Amino acid sequence: MTSTLRRAGRRLRAVVGLAVAQLRRSPGRTALTVFAVALAVLSVTLLASLGVGVVQTGEDGLDNADRDIWVSSDPIDPSASGTANPIVGSHALAAEMSERDDVSSAAPIAMHDIYVGTESDELERTSAVGVHETHDGFGFEEGGGFETEMNHSSGEYADGERPSEPENEEIVLDPDTAEAHDIDVGDTVYVGTSRESAANHEFTVVGISAYYSQYLGSDTETIPLTDLQAIAGTTGTDRATFITASVEDDADRDVVVAELDEEYAAYDVRTSDEQIGAMFEEQPLVLASGATLIGLAVVGGIVLTVNLFALVAYQQRDELAALRAIGLSRWVLAGTIAVQGLVIGVLGGILGLVLTPLLAAGLNYLASSVIGFGKLLQTPLEVYLLGLALAIVVGTVVALVTGWRASRYARIQHLSG
Amino acid sequence: MSNHALRQTTASDDDSSTDDVESPTAVRLESVTHEYGANGGRGRSGDDRTVTALRNVSFDVRAGDIVGLEGPSGSGKSTILHAVSGLLVPSDGAVELLDTDLTACSNRERTRLRRRHVGIVFQRFHLLPSLSARANVALPLVQAGIPRAKRRERAETLLEKVGLGDRIHHLPGELSGGERQRVAIARALVTDPDVIVADEPTGELDTATGEDVLDLLMDIGRDRALLVASHDESTLAVADRVVTLRDGRVVSDGG
Repeated sequence: MTSTLRRAGRRLRAVVGLAVAQLRRSPGRTALTVFAVALAVLSVTLLASLGVGVVQTGEDGLDNADRDIWVSSDPIDPSASGTANPIVGSHALAAEMSERDDVSSAAPIAMHDIYVGTESDELERTSAVGVHETHDGFGFEEGGGFETEMNHSSGEYADGERPSEPENEEIVLDPDTAEAHDIDVGDTVYVGTSRESAANHEFTVVGISAYYSQYLGSDTETIPLTDLQAIAGTTGTDRATFITASVEDDADRDVVVAELDEEYAAYDVRTSDEQIGAMFEEQPLVLASGATLIGLAVVGGIVLTVNLFALVAYQQRDELAALRAIGLSRWVLAGTIAVQGLVIGVLGGILGLVLTPLLAAGLNYLASSVIGFGKLLQTPLEVYLLGLALAIVVGTVVALVTGWRASRYARIQHLSG
Repeated sequence: MSNHALRQTTASDDDSSTDDVESPTAVRLESVTHEYGANGGRGRSGDDRTVTALRNVSFDVRAGDIVGLEGPSGSGKSTILHAVSGLLVPSDGAVELLDTDLTACSNRERTRLRRRHVGIVFQRFHLLPSLSARANVALPLVQAGIPRAKRRERAETLLEKVGLGDRIHHLPGELSGGERQRVAIARALVTDPDVIVADEPTGELDTATGEDVLDLLMDIGRDRALLVASHDESTLAVADRVVTLRDGRVVSDGG
């Protein structure tokens, strides 16, 4: 038994030696296939890092907003919800929620498309988010923010007597918008939801920040909610896109969410984590594109490597048949080709993993200089493990397929001459 | 390592007997008939275009015999060599290798018998281009699980024997045709077989190189059974006996 094992061990070592010898004699082919596997691994690790980074960035954003609970209605589609604002009577709803003992505060957020410009006949279409205040971590490039009354549904405003004209008339502009119109802090701009109405409303630029632009992917200005509702004419219906709420420190967030969800069945009540998930679910195209890219890269890497080695097996079919004829078993012959595939898989995997942090850093630099995100790609240990697993899977698939092809050639029929 | 069963028997026979004691039979073909397409060809019915390669072929080869196989292309020379090596099982008849009927053996048994007792020399050498001469020669020993140091030692000894002691690290691409065939002969001998089959061993070589290779084959194959298939008169001239084939039949058995 032990001698059988010893012989098998020697055979295995010899097979590995043969495979390595073959790889070393064809450095060009070896490099190409290692590169192919590395590309497949890289595409997975980088896209996964991007996914992790985007979710993390989103969560950080929501954390900055310091809101535990997000209430929305209907699917959140940024391209449509800017005008849809499906929550009606939002201030009353927020007030009702904040009356609970376990909720410390609640406030609506609205989104609208607006026109903004320094001249009433030179207006640019852009987006606006209406909030009651610009919170901490807003990242002002210049100037500061604004703060309005937390909840316009309390006290004298409770009966829908909110001002129907803008009262604060302050705006925080996106840097691109400010630059395009050569606007500085302290300047006055026209703001409206249509070209005609914009001339009627003059706002003072109090700050410049890209905070909401980052999340919405387009230039976005920030306006006090009541002012935005006033210029949009939704003061009466009191429309909003979200209601955000914070829970008391000693309250269990998940319990509050569950209770609110039950109480307000018409709305979707989510924790901030779930909200991120829901936002991504609303982007099936993005997710599908990512999955497709990964799939293509993996399949491409496997196909290229398998093809190259199948070609090698085909080129050497006479030799394989001859070796079979002189008594080498099919397993030994298939093994020499298969081990080459496995070695390629592992080498490519290692290369891919080594390149991952370098390329991630490069892409992060690019992302921060182009769109202003600091750390868009984040690569936790799990992503590296995923890449390594993929490399081993690719190596094994390559090994199985090419070994099988090689063993098919190891037949007397291929022995010519 | 020695698989060479017959040499020892012959040697002991020689010690105790006179010169004309007959050597044991290494290979025997008994009424061998083979039709291609009859038992192969997946998805093809047996009577659909079968080609009869051998018809009722019988002859035997004793240890120490050099038997030439002559005949035009398609006369069945290669089929006989393949049958003797157990690479194919004839449709009818028996092929005995060292008194074992190959037609009664399983695939695995035939492979083992071939590995232990048959050395094959091909017309086109069939060396692995990425392996050194030494590694090519040592390849058949891999299957037996022989340790690397021993494999190398054996391969080097044989390469020296075929006059390539200074070429052991060369790749096939760095060797001439004659040198490659010498490497192939060394590979055929590495398991110390009883029977050597050579299919047109000088077919790819010029006359002078061919003669050198032939001399080597004669010299090394001296106490083994050697079957050489060839078109070439000078190759066949070294045989003790020439079996002539036409359309799969033996038309003349030199013995």
